[in-house]
Amino acid sequence: MSPHQGHILTNFDEALSQIRDVTIGMGSGAQRNLNNAIRGLIQRDKSLCNTAIADDDDEDRLEVEIDHLGMKILTKYRPMASDLRMVITSMKVASHLERISDQAVSIAKRSRKVIKSPEIKEVLRIEGLYKVASDMLSNSVTAYVDSNSELAVTVIEGEKALKKCHKTTSRFFAKALEVESEYYRNYLDLVFICRWLERVGDLAINIAEEVVFEDTSTDIRHGRELPPELL
Amino acid sequence: MVNPLYTKKLSVPTMSDTIKSKEKKSKTVIEVDDIGFSYDLGKTETLKGISMDVSKHKVTALIGPSGCGKSTLLRCLNRMNDLIETAKITRGTIRILGQDIHAADVDAIELRKHVGMVFQKYNPFPKSIYDNVAYGLRIQGITKKSILDDAVEKSLRGAALWDEAKDRLKDSALGLSGGQQQRLCIARTIAVQPKVILMDEPCSALDPIATAKVEELITDLREDYTIVIVTHSMQQASRISDNTAFFYLGELVEYNTTEHIFSHPSVKQTEDYISGRFG
Repeated sequence: MSPHQGHILTNFDEALSQIRDVTIGMGSGAQRNLNNAIRGLIQRDKSLCNTAIADDDDEDRLEVEIDHLGMKILTKYRPMASDLRMVITSMKVASHLERISDQAVSIAKRSRKVIKSPEIKEVLRIEGLYKVASDMLSNSVTAYVDSNSELAVTVIEGEKALKKCHKTTSRFFAKALEVESEYYRNYLDLVFICRWLERVGDLAINIAEEVVFEDTSTDIRHGRELPPELL
Repeated sequence: MVNPLYTKKLSVPTMSDTIKSKEKKSKTVIEVDDIGFSYDLGKTETLKGISMDVSKHKVTALIGPSGCGKSTLLRCLNRMNDLIETAKITRGTIRILGQDIHAADVDAIELRKHVGMVFQKYNPFPKSIYDNVAYGLRIQGITKKSILDDAVEKSLRGAALWDEAKDRLKDSALGLSGGQQQRLCIARTIAVQPKVILMDEPCSALDPIATAKVEELITDLREDYTIVIVTHSMQQASRISDNTAFFYLGELVEYNTTEHIFSHPSVKQTEDYISGRFG
């Protein structure tokens, strides 16, 4: 008898692969929806905004599917140790991704309002914050795909940069809101969009924390310490 | 024929006195130190230098694939292997409450009063329920009816069987269901008030409901006894044990709290086994 990578029950391996694949697919979908929402705003393309809103249904459906797959694995195969952590992590990551997609929908809906009005050049300032949040999301999904807790830690460490960028961008639009009375409603919308982008970054951090738990079995949520191997 | 290595002289006071004196203060009940064991007079070692401590009032599960040595170790703890002619302890010591169980003045029968055992296949005697429970006490020379009555009731209550058996104490034990028979065997074991109870896959022949009752019973018994259980069920080990030891090919691979073993084992071999990756 010698240890090997796969389980004796090949169906168990297939079920684990399936929940992971669906979650990865959901991660791609959330990134795409966010990208479409922001491109819709910057390129003033209503159809991109509509796509982001419509595609959120897929994310909702996938979240439910992942929960069902997870429940099935838990009841049928009774996973232990790293397998158990992988299933739990996938279910929790799916929940975070669904909320990220919801943020994309909120951004897309506000963007549709913004692009109805004449173009505001300063809207491009949102790109910096989007880049920070989008990179955090991308890295957290990659960390999940590769079970890479070191990459996950870099996402968590990005929180300060996210807050700083959010503060700067949000303040700019808030200030413009006070002086530009004609377009104050648009600037207010942009302040909201900044907040939702920051929320995307926060949810990316949540995903990264789940990855650290999956990889190291250490719960680092709510400011708990990193495991020694990641310090 | 009993292995000559284990034919120790009967010296009742020594074992009992040592255990009584150590019982109150010791947190470790069993100390296994570098124990080696062979079924063929030392030609091949079935246990290869096992060392582990078993804590008082804890349930300790021994897990591992067939042939890994877990049942062999369990049977070493009350010298059940003495009954095998070619069996031999090749090295190390086992101490129970400080007493070396292989010391010259320790008698195996005396030892088993303190270290009871419940087997995979329930094995009540073809006697009444009452006589089964009272059997060990009668062997000890207790004949007074009131004492036996009290002990039988206490033991059956302790084994969660009193309500089901109190109106049929004189009926044959063989008329009980499988799960009831196993709980009767547990009642028989605790009647003599051992310090340690060894259980060798006690639920493997039981249906899920009977298994749940025995598991509940094991959890309750922990308050009064130290329990070592061999099980092939990972779920059972994770449900009822405080500590878990994983064995492989006669070696102790990992020994830690059950939570640690089943959530993030330190050794990859343990992880592979508990998650079903051994092929």
